[in-house]
This record gives sequence, C-alpha cells and structure tokens, in this order.
Amino acid sequence: MTPTAPATSGPAPAGTAIYSSPLRTLTMPAMLVAIWVLFALLSPQFLSARNLSMLMIELSATATLAVGVLLVLLPGHTDLSVGAGAGLTGGIASVLVFQHGWPAPAALALSFVCGVVLWSLMGLFIVKNRIQAFIITLSGMLAFKGAFWLVIRSATVPVARGGESNLYAAITTYYLPGWAGWVLVAGIVALLAALTWRGRRRRAAVGAAREPVEIAVLRLVVAAQALALVVLVCGQYRGLPLAFVILCVVATIVHILTRHTPFGRHLYAIGGNEEAALVSGIPVQRVVVTAFTLLGGIVAVAGFMSTAYAGASTTTVGDLMELDAIAACVIGGTSLKGGRGSVLGALFGALIMASLLNGMTLMAVAPELKMIVRGVVLALAVWMDVRLGSAR
Amino acid sequence: MKREESAGPASRQRVQAGPGRLDGTPAVVLEARALTKRFGGVNALRDVSFDLRAGEIHALCGENGAGKSTLIKTLSGLHPHGSYDGEIRIDGREVRFRSLADADRAGLAVIYQELALVGEMTVAENIFLGSERCHGPWIDWARTHRDAAALLARFNISINPGTRVSELGVGQQQLVEIVKALGKDARILILDEPTAALAGAEVEILLRILRDLRAQGVAIIYISHKLSEVMALADRITILRDGASVVTLAAAETDVPTLIRHMVGRKIEDLFPRDRPHAPGEELLRVHRLTAAPTPQAAPQLHDVSFSVRAGEVLGIGGLMGAGRSELLLHLFGAWGHRRAGAVTLLGRPHPAPTPRESIRRGLVMVTDDRKRYGLHLDLPIGANLSLSSLGRVTSAGFLDPAAEELVNQRFFDALRVKAPGLDAPVGGLSGGNQQKVVLGKALMTEPRVIFLDEPTRGIDVGAKLEVYQLINELSAQGKAVVLVSSELPELMGMSDRIVMLHEGAVGGVFEHAEFDQERLLAAAMTPAADGKILHS
Repeated sequence: MTPTAPATSGPAPAGTAIYSSPLRTLTMPAMLVAIWVLFALLSPQFLSARNLSMLMIELSATATLAVGVLLVLLPGHTDLSVGAGAGLTGGIASVLVFQHGWPAPAALALSFVCGVVLWSLMGLFIVKNRIQAFIITLSGMLAFKGAFWLVIRSATVPVARGGESNLYAAITTYYLPGWAGWVLVAGIVALLAALTWRGRRRRAAVGAAREPVEIAVLRLVVAAQALALVVLVCGQYRGLPLAFVILCVVATIVHILTRHTPFGRHLYAIGGNEEAALVSGIPVQRVVVTAFTLLGGIVAVAGFMSTAYAGASTTTVGDLMELDAIAACVIGGTSLKGGRGSVLGALFGALIMASLLNGMTLMAVAPELKMIVRGVVLALAVWMDVRLGSAR
Repeated sequence: MKREESAGPASRQRVQAGPGRLDGTPAVVLEARALTKRFGGVNALRDVSFDLRAGEIHALCGENGAGKSTLIKTLSGLHPHGSYDGEIRIDGREVRFRSLADADRAGLAVIYQELALVGEMTVAENIFLGSERCHGPWIDWARTHRDAAALLARFNISINPGTRVSELGVGQQQLVEIVKALGKDARILILDEPTAALAGAEVEILLRILRDLRAQGVAIIYISHKLSEVMALADRITILRDGASVVTLAAAETDVPTLIRHMVGRKIEDLFPRDRPHAPGEELLRVHRLTAAPTPQAAPQLHDVSFSVRAGEVLGIGGLMGAGRSELLLHLFGAWGHRRAGAVTLLGRPHPAPTPRESIRRGLVMVTDDRKRYGLHLDLPIGANLSLSSLGRVTSAGFLDPAAEELVNQRFFDALRVKAPGLDAPVGGLSGGNQQKVVLGKALMTEPRVIFLDEPTRGIDVGAKLEVYQLINELSAQGKAVVLVSSELPELMGMSDRIVMLHEGAVGGVFEHAEFDQERLLAAAMTPAADGKILHS
C-alpha cells in the first residue's frame, strides 16, 4: 500500500462536497440580489451607506444566534429556547450593571458563564434522558422567559447607568475608526493568503493534488474585494460597527469548528446517521453536549447584542429570535433533520431575513404585516428544505 | 424421528370438508409451475414447482437463501405477474396477481414474522383493519366487536376482543394476526416462521389452531427451521435448495436426518481461498460464560457462551437466524445489550462494558451486517466515510489535516480497489460490493487487532466476494484475529479455521477444521446441545 498521487480525483480538498449543494449555492445569492434590487427600487434610501450600516447591526444579533443554532441543528437536534435565553443573559448583565454597579466587562463575563452552564445542563439532560430536544427546549423557552422577567422584575433595565457609556452599550454603538477597518481587512487577507500557501505546500509535500494556482489566487482576490467593499461602505457612514466585527469573529470560530475539526465532522455524521456514527466510534453524547454548551455561550453574546441594540432589557427582548435564527439556517441550506448546513449559508439566510425586515421598515409596512411576512418566509424556507431534501 | 400420531395422513384426508375429487383425494388448491425469479444476475428461484392441497399442512424447508421467502413473495403477489416466469394456479385456473391486494381477494393470506398490527388499537379493530364492518359510511362497532368475538370463539382463542394489542404477548399477537387473515375468509394460509417468537404453551395453541384449520379444509404452507415441529405438524414437506425444489416428501415417510441431508447436499466447490495459518499466535480475545440480555429487565438472549480467538485465526460463528450471532458480536463490541454474567478479555485486558469508541481504541472493530443502516453515511462522500473512525490520525493541533486525510483515504481506496470516480463520489451511489469495501476500509483504517465481520459478503456479487475473502486471508496473515459470522455454511466452512455454532443463544457446538461437516454443523444449529454439554467430536 504505497501512496500514489491520484491522477483522476478532482483538485478540491477532501470533504468539501458535504458542505455545499450546487442548487443552494446559486439560489441564495440570487435571492439576496433580487430582494435588494426590489427594495432599492421601492425605497431609494435602502442602498444608502447609513441604512446598510444599520442593516449590518440589525443583522448581527440574529446572525450570531443563527450560527450558534447551526451547531445543534447539524447533529439533528433543535433549540427553541435560544430567544428566551438571549433575553435572560442580556437581562442578567443589565441588572448587574444598572442595579448593582458592576463594571460592564465583569457583568458580561458572569452572564456569559451563566449561559454556558445553563446550556450544558440542558444538553446533558437531553442526551442522558434521550428526550427530544424539541420538548426540552420548548420547556426551556417558557422557563427562561419566566426567569428573565423575574430577573428584571418586568421593568426596563438600561444597559448603562445615567448618561455614561460602557462596554455593554458600546456593542451596538461603537464603530471602528476608518484605519482600523483597513488594518483588519489587510490582516485577514494576509492570514488567508498564508493559510492557503501553507496548505498548498503541505499538499505538495505529501504528493496530493492541488487546485491550480490561478483559482486559489482568484478566490483570495474575490474575498479581498468583498471585504474591502464592506469596509468602504461602512467608512462612508461611521465606520465598521463593532457588532458586525463580533459577528464575524463568532462566525469564523464556528466555521473553523465545523469544517476543520473532528468535532465538526462528528456533528455532520451524527446528523446524517446517528446509529452509524455510534458504531463508527463517535462519542455521540459528548459531541452533542459540547454543541449545546457552545450554543450557550453564543446565546449570551447574541443576548448582549440584542439588549444593547434596544438600549435596555425589556420584557420583549429576544422574543421570537429563535424562529428568525432557525429560519436563517434553513434558508441557508441547513436541514432540520441534521447532517447538512454551513455557516456561510446561515449568514446568507440571516442577511436575507434582515434585508426583508429592513426594507419593510423603510417602506413603513405595518408591524402586523411584517409579522405575516416573517411567518410566510419561514414556511417557504421549510418547504424549500423539504423539496430540496427529497431531491438529494 | 418418526411421526407419533396413530392416524396416518391417508385416513385423515378422507374426512376433508373442502372441495374434493371423486376418488376422495383433496383438490389442489394452489399450484406453482416452473417458477423462475431472477434478481439481477442471481437466480432466486429456478424452475420451482409446488402444489398445495386443501386441508393440508405443507411445510417448506431450506437453508437461509434457499428461496423460501422469494417463493412466498411470488405466490402472494408481492412480486407481481410479469416479474417472474412460470405459472400460478388457484383451483386449477391461472392467476396473475399484480399486487398483494389481488392475492388477498383470491383468499390467500400471508403471516410474516414481523407482525402487521397496530399496537394502539384493540384486537377487534385490528382484525377488521382494512375490511371494516360498516353501516353505510359509519363503522359498525357493535358488529365489529361481535364478529371478532365470534371468530375468536370459533378457534377457541381466549382473548378479549377489547384488549389493546400492545398489551398482548407476542404469541397472542400472532394469533390475532392469524384470526385477521381468517376474518378475510382466507382459504390459503402461509405462515413464515410462526413459532420463532413463541414459547411453550403458545406454540401448542398455535399448532392446535392450525390443526383445526386443516380439519376445516384450509390449505396451509408452513415455513420453519424447527424440523421437529415440522415433522409433528406437516403432512408433506418440500425442501428448497439454491432456489430449486429438491424433493417433496410425505412427513410420515421421512425423518429429520433425511430432511437435513436434502437441505444441504451439495458439493462445496473450491470457492474459498483460505490459507490456513501454520501456527496461530497468542490469544487475542477470550469470552468466558457470557450471558447477556437486550435490556436490564429482559430475559437473556445469550447464555453461557464461551470461546476464544487467536492471532492469525479466522473463527466462524454460525447458527440460524435468531440464534444470537449478531447480538454476540455487537455485545462484545459494545453496541448491544447488558451483560448479566461472564468475563471478556481483549488483548489481555478485561473488557467489561465498552462503548464502540472504546472497543475501537483498544483494537477491536466491527463491520455490521446492515451497511446502509449502521455502516455508512450515505450522504457523505467516500473519503469522509473512510476516515470517520480514524479522524484522530489525520488531526494535528486539533485541526483536521485535509492533505493527510486525503492521502490515507486514497491509500485505502486504492488498496481495496473501490470502483468509483474518486474520493468525493457520494457513497450512496456505489454498488453493494463497493459500499461494503468502504465499510471495511473504515474499519481497517483504525488499525485493529481483532476484526468482527457480520455477514461481510451479504448482497454483493461473486467478484467482490472473492476480494473480501482475499482480504480476510491478508488480515490473518498479518496476525490479526478475524471473527466471521455467516448464514452461508459453505462460506463459513470455506473461510474459517474453527467454527462455533450457536443455537438459541447458547453454544451448540465447537468444531475444529478437521471436523467440518455440513450436516453436523446444521444439526448443532438446529438442536440444543445434549445435556447442556458442548458437542465436540
């Protein structure tokens, strides 16, 4: 059994086939472009730098949550309690800052830990008792909501005292100065280039086939252009929003976890066929509990973002956020049965949903109608999932 | 073993109530002529002719894969007319069933081992499921209950028609299934291994009902591996072998050893390239008096099993379906059951209550008998399937190394000669043989020392089978221990160095290579070990 360079296998690295479906990769950007064109025609401010910047902030909380929910959707579970959890964690931090005078970083840290602990317990409960996550997280949704209202005593708890500004409030109000944005972009592009080059060297060293240099360079150029465009647009308003940067960091971490670690591969395997995954030696219970634990941390971050955006914890922070998050994932190609989905898809899905909502707000659509549209979009997304699922 | 009943078949035939000919012998109710059925290149039935008379219990016997199920499926309409060659006649007229419903209407009912009852519904509801007693558009519940009670009474079955089926024992559920078939006025009843799941008293009840039905003129085809039961119950016995009907015997004129001889009697061609090791090495796995049950509360399905396997050796494990072969392997691997008693030593260390992950880590890997369900991720590409059990080997600093992964995947892909466009091809599109190779590749990539193979050549073509056998040879030449479960005796005998035959969860016999003999192996599988002692020679 001597290694030989494969003559006929394609240049794509092993495993990429599972993450994308050809149909989906075309429909999503197409849908996004269609929606943007529609709203740009109906409401000229839609494409203004200010509005796009607001869109990015509105997007951040839901997209962060979507990326977290992806971690439990992939192994075939679900979580209906993330919205209530976001409210709860945001509320804990608000109360600590506003009513007990804690410094914002400490309050956020403690609340983050609460989220992680709560979700790891929920995950343990689900796997040890073999109860459907749907029911447990549904109960969680109700319990966490009640706990949230208890924590804030159903009052409005601002994220910062008096007129001061703290880290908490800064999450959705801080913008990176222009130069910082460019430094970030340059750094990311450099990192991507270094990783690509190192990957190619490694493949050459072991004798595996590599994709043509032109394609690799092209991909880097396109990525650099996209990043530069974002910074450029943001620069026209006030700069790169901190919330958006946080979203990108979380999304990157989850992307690396799902695509470049054994843990990620295990998530897909468990979702695709849990029995076979067990027989293959995958520690199914451990992986699922870990996924829920990670989700707990991400729920906290999303909770901070939502609460900061609202300026205060009110009883409605986090309402229905779980549906938006799950809808974003499904629109982006995640299967509710597990085994299929990607971070990029979830981000696209969140962007589509946020664009819809933003456009409707600009057109002064009544809140009742907006709710109906959200419901219809969710139904369409699930229908698409089923249709494309059976076409596989 | 001769029949014990004093009245021979001839005298009983004369009191038949069913349609008879003028000379007193009963009419042929069902006849199959020259049935031939092919699946791809495989001949499941070859020119099978079979006849069934009214008021007769006609047993159908044969090894696994002999064609019994295929014959039943053809007779019952599951394989529609046109998918087979030959004729089926009922009451002398040719019938062309296009579906199960057609056969149903013709008065033919099949009762499979997997019961088709709705657990949440009552006995009465189940009996008339599909043929509800109606009053206009509404279901007439009173009539349903009454008719169900009448049917049950007719056969002296004391089950309350209002009981929910899920509350009944398996044996009683089976009786409900039979009554359901009779409620449709079935004249021909086909039972597939009806007593496989029954114990003691229930078996007696079932046999009594079948004899009553026979007396009423119902024609019954009875498939069973339990030859003693067959001898006690049947009037005639037809034996299938390799898809052909070998012989039809009157039960009164034969005995169990003769049946076995007919079931088995083929020459073993040299299809199995087994190289015997000259000196088997150290003991790698030892099982001592293992008793295990599916759940902590259930009755044990494995009793007092002991055996050992050495490096470089191939141990075959055989037995009938339900004997516990897969359960034994799955339990040792850590994917089934709770241990009640016994000790297992793997590579010198105790192996008390493992998980599959632990077993793999310690050098024991298993290839299950259901590759689609437990062996493969059909939506993942070949490469991802191959490396799934060994991701740790292609991970550095916590991250997957795609180059290393592709390298090792390609190595196994090439070594096993998987016929596919490449590592990225989805595994669901491969042929059975190539899919099996992927599962084997995944298992071998874990660098095991003991390998469990459960029906490794099931459903794969002859060429791929040969490659699997050569692989087994290679593995044992490398000093690994292989445990091979197979339903095909020739394969078991051809590829094993020693064979353990299981009978209903216990060891029925242990055979060294020199003692391999089809009839004795089959006998060990079909009869309990005498006085609880292991049958050696």
